[in-house]
Parts: sequence; structure tokens; C-alpha cells
Amino acid sequence: MKRSSDPLSEQKPSHAVLQQAADWYARLTADPHDASAGEAWRRWHGQSEAHRQAWQYVERVARRFATLQEDGDAAARTLRTARRTDLSRRQALRTLGVASGGALLGWLGWRATPLPQLLMAWQADYRTATGELRDFLLADGTHLWLNGATALDADYRPERRRLRLFAGEVLIETAAETRPFVVDTEQGSLRALGTRFSVTQQDGFTRLAVFDGAVEVRAAGSGATRIVEAGQQLRFDRQAIGAGEPAAAARQAWARGMLVAGDIPLAEFVEELSRHHRGHLAVAPEIAGLRVMGTYPLHDSEQVLAMLESALPIVVHRPLPWWTSLEARR
Amino acid sequence: MSTLDTSYQQQVAHYYAEHHGWIRAWLYRRLGNACDSADLAHEVFLRLLAKPRRFDSAGHARAYLHGMSRHVCVDFWRRRQVEQAWLEVLAGRPEAVAPSEEHRALVLEALQQVHAMLARLPEKVAEAFLLAQLEGLGYRTIGERLGVSERTVTKYMAQAMYQCLLLEAELDEALV
Repeated sequence: MKRSSDPLSEQKPSHAVLQQAADWYARLTADPHDASAGEAWRRWHGQSEAHRQAWQYVERVARRFATLQEDGDAAARTLRTARRTDLSRRQALRTLGVASGGALLGWLGWRATPLPQLLMAWQADYRTATGELRDFLLADGTHLWLNGATALDADYRPERRRLRLFAGEVLIETAAETRPFVVDTEQGSLRALGTRFSVTQQDGFTRLAVFDGAVEVRAAGSGATRIVEAGQQLRFDRQAIGAGEPAAAARQAWARGMLVAGDIPLAEFVEELSRHHRGHLAVAPEIAGLRVMGTYPLHDSEQVLAMLESALPIVVHRPLPWWTSLEARR
Repeated sequence: MSTLDTSYQQQVAHYYAEHHGWIRAWLYRRLGNACDSADLAHEVFLRLLAKPRRFDSAGHARAYLHGMSRHVCVDFWRRRQVEQAWLEVLAGRPEAVAPSEEHRALVLEALQQVHAMLARLPEKVAEAFLLAQLEGLGYRTIGERLGVSERTVTKYMAQAMYQCLLLEAELDEALV
């Protein structure tokens, strides 16, 4: 599969990109357990906005089939019959010079939640795959726990220690040292003031939770700064630093293999879970706001989905082997 | 293009005043049902709103709207035909499980969408896609059923998805 040469600014996928998406779909469906294909797909997916848009179309197509899978046999038979009569009528119509319209406008443009930005920095010094938790001890004794689908670089110099977080979440316990310790994200930088804290690189913002000591936040665009004390968490983007709130236990529980939800929206919960789930997880918009509470085992995302299904008015659909969608129970 | 400019809306309102009557009558002659023909006549104008278009003359507009009316009519028949086929499949079941009205509407809508997607595909390609998506068969089994290699099945699957993606892209354009 060739790299797309689309400029990033171009949103609409070209026919060539749609063809690539279709090829990926065919390849991934052939063998859902082909890890190297999955990894190559993720790279392709992260390459441009056009690729992501094209893949959203794949999801929409899959979604149209999902409703029918419950009684796939009846659906397949119906469609075969309808196709046969349609073909014969179309031949008749063609002789009359009538072409059929696309029947498009009746379609509901159901949109899946956008795929997580899995633009992993594959050359990063430290990284974890989806579903993988790892901890690293750096040369100075600083301890890092990487949540699933996380990538970061460590750049240690005589005068400073610097981490660059590309994707995912890292819990950091800094070693006491005189050199400053700074974490850079897309939105700004965080200076540790002797501390334990977690940093998450999200799509468009960074989340910081401080458990010990304090961290100084600096937004890259506006230069705004704020000191966040232990027990606090907040979000910031390149311009603004959000209001502080009590730090969620979940922000360090994952390091012990637990997913702790303290009354959070389902969409947020699933975003968390997706770091530990192979394949894509989507949430239908009408259930995205359902509240989730409880402690869940991170190592078994299927088990977590089953728990959600029994606790909430939702059903788990698996229209494609690597694609799971949560929808309202009808 | 996310908001329709009001001058175009006025233009369509003008076309509506001018042409709605004969379109509805024309549809009624074809369908023999006042309710359906009223719905479909509106759909013609909805489509015109969704895909803005200027006409050089009244004759041009009339010809275009006539063609559009035929399209909605064909689509309507096609939807009916899918519904008919589905009801027959359900009726042929040993124990008749009556689906709820809501579920029925949902399944029918999905069937019509998928039917429209498959309409553009060659026979074997459509069949391979159905077997994989609805019956959950693997490529090897599909290949055996259709008498082609697994490689060919992969090609069919990509071809089918590509056509569906073109439709999705088209749909997006029609909606923005």
C-alpha cells in the first residue's frame, strides 16, 4: 500500500485514498489477528486527515450492516431476492433510457465517534502497544508507567531532564535531583516540582493530574502558567489552562491494572478502555453521556464490555472482527 | 456550504410553486396512491435543495424535475421491493416472530441502504460481501462457495467496500 501524498490540509479523501481504505478493510477482514497488518494499518490511519476520513466511511458502511447481523440469514436472503428483481427491472428500465438515482438522501448519516488519534510515534524511545502497561526506570531513578498506546521520548542532558509525550498517558514519579524535570506535550510543558503526576496527551489538549508535590504548567501558545498542587487535576490546550478539580483516582489506578470510573460519561470511559482494547471501540452518540461508576479490570477489555452491557441500557455490537460498537439497547 | 443561502431557497420555493402540481399528478398516475405521491413530490424538492442547481430556462427546469421525479419513483419501488422480499422471507419462517414496529423500521431502513450499496456491484462481488458481512464466513469458505481463490475474494471485498465508500463520500457531499 502506497503512502498517500495528500496534503494534510485536504480533508476530503480522494478516490485513491478511498481505494486504500477499501484495501485495508479487505486485508484486515481476511485475518483479524494479523498483528503486523494491524500495526501497518494504524500507521496508514495516522498519516493524514484524509485517511482518517476515509476510514470513517468504512465504519459507516460497517454500521449499516450491523443492524442486519442479528438476523443475517434473513437479511442475506432478502437482499438476494431484491437484487434479482431489481436486476431484471433495471434491464427493462435501461431500454427505456431511465437510470436510477442513488437513493442516498434517505440515509441517516450516522457518525461514529472519531477514531482515536493513534498517530503513534513509532520511533519513540519508550512506547506501549494497545492493551499493554509497562514501567520503566530511567537512569536518574525516575519511574515511568506507560498506559496503553503511549509513546514518549526521553532527552536527558547534563543541565536538564526532558520527556516528550507524543500519545497516550504516562504516570511519573520523579527522582529527587537538582536538574529540572520537564514534560513537553503538543499543548505546552509541565515542570515537575518534586513529584508524582500523570500526563495524558489527548486530541487537542493535555490532561495533568498531580498526586504528590506540584507541577508548573505552561501553555505553549499563550505562555500562560499555573502551578498545580497535589490532589488536583486540570486540562489545558495551547491557549488556555482549564479550572482545577480534584484529581481522579483513575489517573493512577491504571498503573495497578485497574480502571476506576468515578461517575464519568460513557464516552470518556470508553476512550480510556480503548487504550487496552485491540481494535476500534465506538460509542453511539445517544448513549455517550450515560454515567459509569466502578472499578474494572484493565487486562480484560472484553470482560469490561460485558460488565457495561449488564449495568447500562446498551448492547455491544461486533460488526467487524476488529471493530466494536456500543449502542443503545432497543 | 453548510448553510443554504437564502436566495437559493427562494429560488426553490419559486420552482415549487411552479412545478409541484404537475409533479404530484405525474407521480399519482404512476403510483395510484395520493399519500405516497405527495411524499415523493416533496422528496423531489428536498433533493433539489440538497444539491443546488440553476436552470437556464423554465423548460430546462421542467426537464430536470421530470427526470428527478422518475428517480424518486424508481427509488420508491426499490424500497418497496426490498420490503416485500423481507416480508416473504419472514413469512417463510416456521415460527413467525413478529418484530416490533420500531425494530422493523430499523431493519428495513438498513436493508434499503445495503441494497442500494450492493446495486452497483457485480454479482459475485455482492455475494462475497454478503457472505462475509451478514453470514460471517471467512475468505476461504467464501472462495469455495463462489469457486474462486482466497486472493480473489480479498479483491472482491476491497472492490465492494470501495463502491460503498464512494456512496458514503457522495452522501457526505449531498448533506454538507
